[in-house]
Amino acid sequence: MLSCNDLVVAHGDIVALQGVTLQVEAGETVALIGANGAGKTTLLHAISGLNRVSSGDIRFERRSIAGWPTDARVSAGIAQAPEGRRIFPGLSVEENLTLATVSWRRWRQSIAADLDRVFGLFPRLKERRRQLGWSLSGGEQQMLAIGRALMARPKLLLLDEPSLGLAPRLAEEVYEQVRCIGETGLTILVVEQNTVLALSVADRAYVLETGRIVLEGPADELKHNARVREAYLGR
Amino acid sequence: MADFVQLIINGLAIGSVYALAAIGFVIVYSATGVVNFAAGQFVMFGTFAGVATLVNAQLPWPFAYGAALLIMALFGALFFVSVYLPLRRGSIVTIIIGTVAVSITMQNAALLSFGSWPFRLPSPVEDSAVSLGGAIISLHALAVVAVTAVMVAGLWLLFNRTSVGVGMRAVAQDVQAARLMGLKVNRLLAFSWILAAVLAGVAGLMLGPMWFADVNMGDPIALKAFAATIIGGFGSLPGAIVGGLFVGLSEVLGASYVSSAYKDLISFGIMIAFLLVRPQGVFGEKIQDRG
Ligand SMILES: Nc1ncnc2c1ncn2[C@@H]1O[C@H](COP(=O)(O)OP(=O)(O)O)[C@@H](O)[C@H]1O
Ligand SMILES: [Mg+2]
Repeated sequence: MLSCNDLVVAHGDIVALQGVTLQVEAGETVALIGANGAGKTTLLHAISGLNRVSSGDIRFERRSIAGWPTDARVSAGIAQAPEGRRIFPGLSVEENLTLATVSWRRWRQSIAADLDRVFGLFPRLKERRRQLGWSLSGGEQQMLAIGRALMARPKLLLLDEPSLGLAPRLAEEVYEQVRCIGETGLTILVVEQNTVLALSVADRAYVLETGRIVLEGPADELKHNARVREAYLGR
Repeated sequence: MADFVQLIINGLAIGSVYALAAIGFVIVYSATGVVNFAAGQFVMFGTFAGVATLVNAQLPWPFAYGAALLIMALFGALFFVSVYLPLRRGSIVTIIIGTVAVSITMQNAALLSFGSWPFRLPSPVEDSAVSLGGAIISLHALAVVAVTAVMVAGLWLLFNRTSVGVGMRAVAQDVQAARLMGLKVNRLLAFSWILAAVLAGVAGLMLGPMWFADVNMGDPIALKAFAATIIGGFGSLPGAIVGGLFVGLSEVLGASYVSSAYKDLISFGIMIAFLLVRPQGVFGEKIQDRG
């Protein structure tokens, strides 16, 4: 479904991705793990079109999308819950969710079914639907960020560190929902520093170090890989 | 008492014009982050668009107003393409100098096209007045207040009930996240400039009959709109409305009860007091996170 081929992305003089090649097949949950500053966010931004690619190609459903603007990629089916959640603080929960339907919604088309699906996954959002984004707790904001991405009716869901800044229990709760979403058949690429959580939901995983993929394989295999255990699992 | 009612309505009418100018200023500021120093000239252009369609072309009222607002919408789009887009990556100083330069250019363009001799822009309710509890009130002043109220209600609906308006709020709060939602950010930014220009156009058409249409009228309007946003709260739409009405009222009441020489001193004095004591204004700026 998604393939990145030899992707090079630079922020000014800093080359953040130095030739990243990565595949995500339809229906898979793929984890990309790596330490802070490895280039994980840079990759997701490149896939969503917020970063320009210096060389290499990004293909989505066999079409090259590297030159497309972000809104075209969202319409094609790529939605992202960005790092730090990036909830619109002055919009209500419901406005945050509704906004994300612009990519597919026609004039007067109902979004009730989509809202119900998100509220089914995250009942707490329903209780808070009239509250402004800034008033939510960190966990609720993360749920809203994921729910908002789902409102775009994506084919590929990009998650950037959904556990960031959450208490361990909350982080597990969020990952429980990520697993549920993956089980509905949605394709997910999740980026994480929290290796344990990411590997627990993923089918396959890649390890990114300073802009290069250094390891890849089935999640179960990586869990037992000596290098991963030492560097990322602390054992 | 009758005099007082009359003064209040006149103050609200002139304050409505300041409020509309301030709203346009705030919409552009919150969506694009640009402090538009040409905001006063936008209103001046609105008045002269009316002079062109109503006085020079002699179009019938509805067409003249429609054409003037269409000209303003096109002007807003032109401003977006030729001033905002080239400057947006520049530093804040570049952008400020840019809008000041455009402001001067606009003033000179008006001077070249219309000359320095002031025009009288008529009103469709010219010379009509109603009597309200003994006070004689100009129908134009009442119409200005009513039109402004309708515009404010329309804006409220836009920003709260339409996807374009909610999208504009989202862009103002976090541009990058707005892009990730699939919003066509550039279109929304262009629409902000067009909306600001049309609001300035309405303000200019309503102001024309109250003042003379003079190519130098933009500067005092810009100062009043500035004072309005500072008193109301920089970046706040309700603040722009309250601040605009307040500046208009203090100007009219001050001219009548204190001295017309000091009328501007009152509103600017209050603005400075706000800057010193409560710089966030009456409503403050609720949302400061920008992407
Ligand atoms: N906007 C930026 N400007 C300059 N350098 C950046 C920018 N964003 C990220 N970087 C650099 O690129 C590298 C990768 O960053 P990032 O993709 O954010 O890593 P991660 O998400 O894995 O923590 C880091 O060295 C970071 O300092
Ligand atoms: Mg990151």
